[in-house]
Amino acid sequence: MEHNLSKHISGKFNQDLEDVRNHVLAMGGLVEQQLNSALDAVCSGDSELAKKVEEDDYKVNALEVSIDEECTRIIAKRQPAASDLRLVVAIAKTIADLERIGDEARRIAQVALDSFSKEQQDLLVMIDNMGRQVSKMLHDVLDAFARMDVDAAFKVHKEDAKVDREYEALIRQIMTYMMEDPRSIPKIMALVWSVRSLERIGDRCQNIAEYVIYFVKGKDIRHISQEDIEKDILKM
Amino acid sequence: MITVAPEVSNSTSGLKLDLENLMPEQTALEIKNLDLFYAEKQALSNINMKIPKGQVTAFIGPSGCGKSTLLRCINRMNDLVDICRIEGEIQLHGENIYDKQVDVAALRRNVGMVFQRPNPFPKSIYENVVYGLRLQGVKDKRRLDEVVEKSLRSAALWDEVKDRLHESAFGLSGGQQQRLVIARSIAIEPEVLLLDEPTSALDPISTLVIEELIGDLKDKFTVVIVTHNMQQAARVSDQTAFMYMGELIEYSDTNTLFTTPSKKKTEDYITGRYG
Repeated sequence: MEHNLSKHISGKFNQDLEDVRNHVLAMGGLVEQQLNSALDAVCSGDSELAKKVEEDDYKVNALEVSIDEECTRIIAKRQPAASDLRLVVAIAKTIADLERIGDEARRIAQVALDSFSKEQQDLLVMIDNMGRQVSKMLHDVLDAFARMDVDAAFKVHKEDAKVDREYEALIRQIMTYMMEDPRSIPKIMALVWSVRSLERIGDRCQNIAEYVIYFVKGKDIRHISQEDIEKDILKM
Repeated sequence: MITVAPEVSNSTSGLKLDLENLMPEQTALEIKNLDLFYAEKQALSNINMKIPKGQVTAFIGPSGCGKSTLLRCINRMNDLVDICRIEGEIQLHGENIYDKQVDVAALRRNVGMVFQRPNPFPKSIYENVVYGLRLQGVKDKRRLDEVVEKSLRSAALWDEVKDRLHESAFGLSGGQQQRLVIARSIAIEPEVLLLDEPTSALDPISTLVIEELIGDLKDKFTVVIVTHNMQQAARVSDQTAFMYMGELIEYSDTNTLFTTPSKKKTEDYITGRYG
């Protein structure tokens, strides 16, 4: 089914939907920037940049609140149905996940405020690798959202398994490191948390991919195996 | 171990019917290959649907799509239109209501109808309700009193009018008049109640009262409602049929139709887009 936001008889309704969608994309762009800055800060030990990430988090929060209000207003005034309703619901959920991704980025940035020894730098590089992978996922899912592209969304959905594997591997490595040098544990814990944050961001990107598929296909694919999604839903 | 996931109730009645394969005992009305012409102009083409018993079924669609025409077919109101010609069948209890031997007056006792504008008779509230029974020759005062109270209670009007039953029905507000007309229709205990835009002339509060009433009525009657107000259809009905240019485009349970319609025309209509 074709999804065209701009064909309503009411021009104001077209505008409202177009606006809220653009605001989500703007919020997505901001969150993406926050995550990349956080990773840059960790990688280069740039505490100034880390502080900026922390300071800018309020912008993400403010966007979530105002987009939430927009959604409520649209529901109250327009009583959207069918794909319009699904869009508003998908947006309301997406922004909640984006806001949490923003929080995770802030948490990751805090690692940059610590200083690390030379051996520990190796771990930072690995975190950076995983971070880039997650950041690409976020970028791709926002792209899928902007184009309402189910196939692209599903690709992101599948990508999460790789991030999970990466997470397991990294945690194992960090644990080995901690066993070798127990005195480093307090400092290394901060790294564990940021790896955990990255893994959570992957999950949240997967959620957003699910909302995109929900909006376009009208099917709730949460808690359904990827084979079934591919077989029953994407082929529709 | 729980093998079936608990599910949040999916329709107002809690169960989702398979509308295409409805069992005879679940079916109130079956419309088969119905075509209707006003002179040369075809107003309904090949309508096929089963309307389930004890549920609310809504017809929606743009002006002139044939929804009121279809509703009127169900109690043969179109017989009154000279240029109207009907082909196909509508079955009530497995019998075609368009058969020659069918007594139209008896059919209309069984299939009541309420119109857009309240049309109480210029009589007292009491006499309005018992009008149908008096026509049937019922004279027993006690029986009539009982029916008046029961019908007015069912129509959620009793408490408002019980002290002035013998005053003129014209003294009631629009919303009350419409509920009185509903009470009059249900006094003769029809099986099917047809509502043709019953709230379009009413204020929002009266509308909500009638909507609430429709939900209660389906315990006893099969309700078929035509409405221009899509949100109303979404609120009160179990099934919704979307019609367009004389055709039945989509007919499914209301929750599905309003969240994930399968036809583009339905989607365009319920989201207010250009076709």
